[in-house]
Amino acid sequence: MTGAAALALPLAKAGEVGEGFFHERSSETLPCQATDKLFCFDWAKENIGRYGTPTVQHLELVAISVLLGFAIAFAFSLLAHRRPWLRPPLLAGTGILYTIPSIAFFFLLLPITGRGRETAIIALSAYTLQIIYRNTMIGLANVPTAVKDAARGMGLTERQILWKVELPLATPEIVAGLRIATVSTVAIATLAVFAGGGGLGTQIYGQGNINFATSIIIAGGIAILMALAFDAVLLITQRLTTPWRRGAQA
Amino acid sequence: MPDPEVTDEVPSADASAVRYENATKRYGDSAEAAVERLNLEIPAGEVCVLVGPSGCGKTTAMRLVNRTVELTEGDVLLDGESVRDRDPARLRRETGYVIQQIGLFPHRTVAENIATVPHLLGWKKERIGARTAELLELIGLDPELGERYPAQLSGGQQQRVGVARALAADPLVMLMDEPFGAIDPINRERLQNEFLRLQAEIRKTVLFVTHDIDEAIKMGDRIAVMRKGGHVAQYATPAELLMAPADEFVEDFVGADRALKRLALMRVSDIDLWEAPLAHVGQATAEVRAKLRGAEVPYPLLVDSERRPLGWLSERDLAAETVAARPDSPLGPLLDLDDVMRDALADLLQGEAQYAAVADHRGRIAGVLSVEIISEFLASPQAKTEEHGAAERPH
Repeated sequence: MTGAAALALPLAKAGEVGEGFFHERSSETLPCQATDKLFCFDWAKENIGRYGTPTVQHLELVAISVLLGFAIAFAFSLLAHRRPWLRPPLLAGTGILYTIPSIAFFFLLLPITGRGRETAIIALSAYTLQIIYRNTMIGLANVPTAVKDAARGMGLTERQILWKVELPLATPEIVAGLRIATVSTVAIATLAVFAGGGGLGTQIYGQGNINFATSIIIAGGIAILMALAFDAVLLITQRLTTPWRRGAQA
Repeated sequence: MPDPEVTDEVPSADASAVRYENATKRYGDSAEAAVERLNLEIPAGEVCVLVGPSGCGKTTAMRLVNRTVELTEGDVLLDGESVRDRDPARLRRETGYVIQQIGLFPHRTVAENIATVPHLLGWKKERIGARTAELLELIGLDPELGERYPAQLSGGQQQRVGVARALAADPLVMLMDEPFGAIDPINRERLQNEFLRLQAEIRKTVLFVTHDIDEAIKMGDRIAVMRKGGHVAQYATPAELLMAPADEFVEDFVGADRALKRLALMRVSDIDLWEAPLAHVGQATAEVRAKLRGAEVPYPLLVDSERRPLGWLSERDLAAETVAARPDSPLGPLLDLDDVMRDALADLLQGEAQYAAVADHRGRIAGVLSVEIISEFLASPQAKTEEHGAAERPH
């Protein structure tokens, strides 16, 4: 990704790229900034406030994209669950979306949706489809046949079987898909800056000096913490919604 | 027929008679039907076992009842009403369903699993709670286990919960597809006995599928031996099936040791026992010796004042003038009139004993069972002589 970003940089000429790309460059010439030190504490202390807005933007980008992606992928899964013929095209379709390089995706969307957060969200949620769709399908496929047979034999309707038996039992796989999708979206969202979507990317590429490591480390660090936090929240959610799995181990 | 006393009772009103009328199931365009023109009538409150080799269509036939397999032709009637006219989901809620793999909901507690159908039927919370507690007690499970998840139970406990879940809404018919097939032999036996006890109480109409003829004989009031295509080779009571197999197929299926299997259907009280020469402490030995002459059992049995067997006396014990108290006299296996004959024979063989004292329910001597009585019974015209060899060497 970083490689792709570096390659893409020359494309992002001034004016094309939004606020915080070139002109927000810090004008103060702090001593350690001039040197090639890996991390400049003085600068970090003075500038930590500038990460607030990008962090919130980043959070929003990730949350909205994953929720949107989940809604679409989940709908796909429910459709494909009862219609096996839909599975190959859905898998291939989401797979193709997944393989488009992120920067290319943003630039492909620019003529259609213009610059801005929406463009970033469209691309980011498109990336989550494959993982969430596939994991949901795996989760549904893993529900033991005997359990479905018993459910049917006791008089649950197909809809009741889906919502009361199959989906609850597929929860671990579905959440696993969400975790992967969320963590990777936190990472890819750093590129949203190229679509004018803001986020932590503004502080990574936005310093205009890709050699100035301090801001990259801070923004990258925030992204990593954010990914870990999302992951932890989802993991805890999964534990809470699947108490029977703990029971089995006890 | 596990308990003849109960069989004579009028079946309770909450069980349906099941009738197959030319019931046929064909999958796709396949020429051979899985079940072809099946005709079978199961009286309300009886256990009908469908038994046969795998692929004979017994499970398909069973599933026609709750429409988890749909009829191609013909009909299945519950108390005269066609299952075709019933909404499948509602029909299934009135039909208990137990399968080999149990299929408990892993994400629901034991109590929630049992409450599945009552919940679907919209019962009130208190009623569901009361019913769940009642069923846990009925299947002999600690009420505390109700809060556990299925994965925390043993296989036997899980299958008990499976039966309780099927019984929850008091179904008219129970469908049981190899319900104990995945349980180890010891627990299987226990579960079978428990179910028979339960059935004697609840008197459901049960369709029980198995490939195990021994299980069929044990569980069934009637047995339908099926061959490929769902054809019924013979429909009879277990005793009839063992005594008079309709054809070679049934004879093969029932097995060469069917005389021995008949022992599983009998109790010690069903056979004529020998009379034991009794001896009391303090009795003159001459008197005892006189009793031994002409007796079928060559040893005197020492009994207490209540005629409860204490032990066998040997030649040496009779050397004195009177019979002495012998607290350590060997008794060997002590049987009960209610014991199943097969188990009684096992006890005799295990105890390496020729004779075993049989006590009545108050512990008083009722007679003596010997290996000879059993082998004479097996050799009788009812049990075919050609199977004598197999009968004498059961293990």
